[in-house]
Formats: sequence, C-alpha cells, structure tokens
Amino acid sequence: MIEFFSAIADPAVFATVLRVMTPLLLAALGVLISDRAGVLNIGMEGIMLSGALIGVLVSAATANPFLGLFAALIGGGLLGALMAFFINGLGTQFIITGIALNMAALAATTLGLFLATGDKGMSGALKSGVLPNIDIPLLGGVPILGPLLSGHHMLTYLAILAVPAVAIMLARTPFGLHIRAVGSDPKAAAAAGISRNRVQLYALALSGVLGGAAGAYLSMGYVSWFAQNMTAGRGFIALAAEVMGMGTAWGTFAAAAVLGIAETVAITMQTKGLPNELMQMIPYIVPAVMLTVYAARRQAKARKIS
Amino acid sequence: MAEGPIVSFRGVSKTYPNGTVALTDATFDIRRGSIHAICGENGAGKSTLMKILFGLESPSAGQVLIDGAAVDTATPDFAGKHGIGMVHQHFSLVPILTVTENIILGHEPRSSIFIDRHKARRQVVELTQRFDLAVDPDARTDTLSVAAQQKVEILKALSRDTRLLILDEPTAVLSPPEIEELFNRLRDLCAAGMTILFISHKLHEVRALAETVTVLRAGKVVGTTPLAEVDDTTITRMVMGRDVDVPRRQRQQTDAPVVLELDRVSTRSRDPADRIEDISLTIRADEIVGIAGVDGSGQRGLVGVLSGLMHPAIGSIRLAGADMSRASAPDWRRAGLAYLPADRYARGGTASLSLADNAIAGTDGDKALQWGPFLRRGAIRRRVQQMIADYAVRAGGTGERLDSLSGGNAQKLIAARELAGSPKLLIADQPTRGVDVAAAALLHGRIDLAARNGAAVLLITADLDELLRLADRVLVLFNGKVVADLENHAGLTPAALGPYMLGLETAA
Repeated sequence: MIEFFSAIADPAVFATVLRVMTPLLLAALGVLISDRAGVLNIGMEGIMLSGALIGVLVSAATANPFLGLFAALIGGGLLGALMAFFINGLGTQFIITGIALNMAALAATTLGLFLATGDKGMSGALKSGVLPNIDIPLLGGVPILGPLLSGHHMLTYLAILAVPAVAIMLARTPFGLHIRAVGSDPKAAAAAGISRNRVQLYALALSGVLGGAAGAYLSMGYVSWFAQNMTAGRGFIALAAEVMGMGTAWGTFAAAAVLGIAETVAITMQTKGLPNELMQMIPYIVPAVMLTVYAARRQAKARKIS
Repeated sequence: MAEGPIVSFRGVSKTYPNGTVALTDATFDIRRGSIHAICGENGAGKSTLMKILFGLESPSAGQVLIDGAAVDTATPDFAGKHGIGMVHQHFSLVPILTVTENIILGHEPRSSIFIDRHKARRQVVELTQRFDLAVDPDARTDTLSVAAQQKVEILKALSRDTRLLILDEPTAVLSPPEIEELFNRLRDLCAAGMTILFISHKLHEVRALAETVTVLRAGKVVGTTPLAEVDDTTITRMVMGRDVDVPRRQRQQTDAPVVLELDRVSTRSRDPADRIEDISLTIRADEIVGIAGVDGSGQRGLVGVLSGLMHPAIGSIRLAGADMSRASAPDWRRAGLAYLPADRYARGGTASLSLADNAIAGTDGDKALQWGPFLRRGAIRRRVQQMIADYAVRAGGTGERLDSLSGGNAQKLIAARELAGSPKLLIADQPTRGVDVAAAALLHGRIDLAARNGAAVLLITADLDELLRLADRVLVLFNGKVVADLENHAGLTPAALGPYMLGLETAA
C-alpha cells in the first residue's frame, strides 16, 4: 500500500495517471450531462473518434493546432446535436442511435483518413500540430508540489476544471435544473413549460463538445497523428466511469481517476516483462469488477429494506 | 379590469386525429372570483376541456374568451401569460428535486447565469405564508407525504401571479381531514379574489365547495347551474343520463367457514406504508372486510403479505387451512387469490399490450386457449370478447392497447380477468379510484357477487362511501396497527371513522 502511494506521488507516475485519465474524464463528463438529461450518449466513442480526426485534419490544413481543437469541439457538438435531432426529431431510440453513430464514425473516419492521406491506417503524412503543456508560473518552482501540479497538458487542466464547472452547472444554473428535471421526469418538466427536446438538444451538443475535446486530446495531445480506431473503446470506458460515478461530477472524477490508475498500472507492468496481453486487460477488467460490486451492493441493500 | 366572466367557452369542440370526439360544442362561462365545479363521468370530456384551457391542446372548433377577448390557447406559455395555474390529478412534480426547485422550475429567479437561490427560497417561503400552506422548502419532494406533495403542487400553480386555479380531482389521494383542510384553503383563496375551477365526480365534495356546477356528459355540456338551485338527484341524473342503481350489500351467510386467518402478523420495513404491526384478522367466505386508513398507514404491507410480495417477520397466515406465511406470489395465485391492484397500469396490466393479452395473462396452461406451444388466437378472442361484453368494457376491439381505454374501462377488464373462475380470496385495492360512477357501480356489484360465490374479500379503499356500501366489517389502520374493528351497521358514518383514521381513538 505504502509502495503504491509513493509510486503515485512520483511525479512521472502521477503525470502518467493524469495523461491517461484526461480523455476518460472529458468524455465521462460529457456522458454525465447527457445521462442527467435522460439521453445517455452511447455515441461518445464515435464522437471522440470523429473529434480526433477533425482535429488533425484542420490542424494540418491551417498549421494551427488550436484551430484544430476548435474544429474538434464544434464537430463533436454538431454530432451531439445530430443525435438529438434523430432521437427527438425523427423518433429513433437513443441507444440504437448511439450505436449507429459509433459504427458510422468508425467507417467515416477511416474513409476521411484515406481521402486525405491515401492511407487507411495512419495520418503520418499530414503535418499536424501538437497542443501544448502548460507550466504554471511560480508553482513550478515549489518543491514536491511544483513537479506534481505544473507542466501538464492544457486539456488535462481543462478536464479537471470542467469537473466543478459541470457540478455547478447542474446544481446552480437554470439550465442544470432543467436538465435534472427533464432527465428525472419529462412529463413533470413539460408541465412546468420546459421543452424536453430543447434541453436534450443542448445537453447532447454539450456532451459532444466534451467528446470532441477528448478526441482532440488523443490525436493532438502528445502525438500529431490520427490512427484508425484510435479511441480503442475509451468512449465505452467513459460510459462505465459515468455509471461508477453515480451520476455526479465529482463521483465521475473519482471513477475516471481510478480507471486512470488502473491503466497506468497496466502500462508500468508491461515494461516489467509481464505478459502484454494480460496487462492490457486491466483497464477493461477494473470497470467490469467495480460495476459488478456496485450492482451486488445495491441488491444487498434492496434486500435489507424489504 | 373587466367585470364579465373570467373565462367563456364558445362552441368549443375537440376531435383527436384518431377520430375520437372528446368535446362537442361546449359553451359556458366561469364567473370571476367564484368556485366553479366541473362534473361528469370519466371520458365525459372534463380533462380535454381543462387541457384546452391550460394551453396544452388547441380546440378543433370554437373559441375560448378570457376577460371577454378571444385568445389563441395553443401559444407557448399561454397559461403563464393569462395567470392560469393547474393542479394535476397525477402530480407533475419532479421527485428528485427539492420543493423550492420544483416550484421555481421553468421561471427561475436569476443572478447572472446562476439561479438566485436565496431569492428562490424567499419566494417560496413567502408563498407558503401568504397562502397558509406550510411545507419545508428544502425537503426533497419524494420524501413528502401525498398531502404535502399536493400542497407543493398548489404552491407551484400559484407561484406565477395566478388568477385562475384549476384542480383536477384533487381529493382522490387525501383523507377526510386533509380534504377539509384543502377545502378551507381553497375557500380562503377564493375570498382573496382567486377564481377556482374544481373538477370532481364526487358530488358531496362539489356541493361542499362550489357555487356553480357545469355538468358534462359524453363530450357535451348538459347544463351549468348554481348548486343552490338543484338537488343531488337532479345532478346525478344530469351526470348519468339515468338513475344509478346503488347496490347495498346484504350478506347471505354469517357462519360460513373461515377462509383467511392472520395471527399476530408483523412486517419489518423502513417505509411506513409497508409496515404492519401485530395484525390478527379472520375473513369468512361471503364476508367483505374493509380497510380504512390514511394513505400509507400500512395498507401496502398488508396487501404485500397477502399476495406473496412480502413476507411477515412474525406471525402466521393461513388460507383455507394451509399455511401461507412463506408463500410466494405464484403460490398465492395457485391457492386462489384474485387481486385488483391500486395501480392498474403498473401492476394490474401492461399498458402497451393488447386487451386480449392483458385479459389472458396468468392463464398459461389453460388447454382451451393453447395448442401445444401455440396460443389459440380465435379461442382467446372469443373469450375476451365475452369478458368485454360481461363487464360492459367500452373498447374498440380485443387488439387495442390497454392504455387506449379510460381508467374505468381498464379496471373493468382487469376485474373480468381476476374474477373469472371462483377466487377464494379477493383483494380489491382502491378498486374504483378515478373510475366513473357507472363503472364503479358495476365493479361494486361484481365484488359483491364474488363474495356471495364464496370468496373472502379484503377491500382497501380511501373512498369511505364505497367502504360503507360494501364492507360487512371495517378495520381502521393507523401506523400499521388495527386501531378499530367495527361491524358495519347503519349508524356507521365517515365522520365516525375520522378519529380512528387520525389515531385519536382506538376501538380494537
């Protein structure tokens, strides 16, 4: 245990945890907003993947990674809005809509990649930029804390700041209240004059913007290329993180951190000669085990009451 | 401000896209500052009329005049703009929000991009004081009692400079003292200048509260009249179009064998509605035992242990001599339980399935309806058509969805299913809640008939008239305990039950 904590406190390990946690946290917060509004964003994986490609393409075309990020946010938001249009405008079921978006996004990004580079695997031929790390002035010089807290990726800071922002948005703003009302009881919300369609449209668009940020982080955070299916299921892990977070922003943060640690452990173990394939399973086994434990506890609690 | 009627309906009709005619040429006025009742059977068009006035639906023909001027009801925020508030029959409160959040929902006071929470709370506290409706502004709504939730619902309706308050069947969920309390508040509101529109099919309540009544029947206005000028028989005739035959139960045999026996049964639960304590009770064949009590006094726990949904922590239950203390729901069914649940769409039937599917649920293994693994559709249709005819269910066909029926007709279909065969024990939980008078009369007759055919009947109802009409014996539950066990004789009145229901007296 002590070893574990001293390992986490090691700036290099801590940085790795933050690095792998960032896309999960951004995406899971996006899932959270959609879930509270009653339209769980199953399409998060597809939105992330699209955001990753859009970011690289725009960044390469404009030679400006910030424009790439901006385009990824807009693209993600539009895809979220598109889902809302299908679900509420055309009456499709939200889970099917999300699955369809995921499958379409995988095919479309592969096609887009091929059209732009002539390669179906990677976008190495494109000259895309990398979004920068941020050194916090003054703090960077402080011993112990400095190396722990300063010098991380800009989107890592953004993701962490998004936690209180989403929490406050849900608890304290009219929009957040409307999201909770629509997600909990759409009929009662309608009786109070709140349009479910509009609230869910904005919620899914915002969810998409966060998904776009998560995708841009994957393709422009530390690398400067897009690869086919580079999200590799992170959108689904984000769904698990949101469920583990019990529908709150801080809970989602904690769940994303746990999953980040799990993946860090997997990465570290791989370098120590343990079977690669076994270690790669860890990030997927942890949410499965935790969700099972939650479900079992909830059932035990329900039995106790009755 | 204008002096004429606050609202006038002029030839208002509503035909739904599926062809259902809900309202035909409705014309009447609502006088400013009065309490106006709308009376009528289920499906008479009351709800449609209210939805039009609240701006949820637009009329197919005719006009609605507010303060003498024709208005377009189908505009967004119509109700808010004209100061119309509505207390829905099924509460429109979001369970996970606090009282304050529910009341401000849709018109939140803001400071910059945030909700001004202090102002919101102040507004709610002011409302509770101004209208004398005490409720904790910070409580989560789903922790409140039904009566308190209704107060929140009323406060919400009053929170936007309301001048016309619509209440749709507001007393259905309340006990007699709570109803009295509600009526006093409504009279105060009226005295303060509010116009109140009160929808009910309980005549004595209409008479106790309102000055004027408009009677609807089959989508048409039968008449609008001051209540002082008509007697109950006249109104009943207006509502029904015929005299209702009120069945008074006469028990045939008083020494029939004991069917159901509870010996000092208690349950453990956090929820008071599920908690019963030391209940001993016997019901004979051809006996109807009525359970009175304020909502949440342990009725759900009692039904739970008698249907296998819960098990007693202490005590024993015997049905026709067999020990049923640990019996499961299927065991109870096999032993001859028929059950009319209070929530007919959640427990009584499946809203999205057809009438036929609902009517044969639970008959699996019936050779007449099955051929090997297949259902005999023709035989099923014939049997269900017979049920529909026997119980006078108003329905288009056996393939219609259950939720296409009005509440009374759905309940009749469920009763047809449950009372088929000859049940040993019948549990009727709020059998006629929200059901029109004619359907209620039919259901009462069938419950009585089931008892005569040898069933022991447990009747749980908030409708004390129904209780006294049907029950041979009345048990009052309070806090999970039987506080009174009374023979139902001619002298027993709802007023006499009140003190027991409130836990002021015991006579067990």
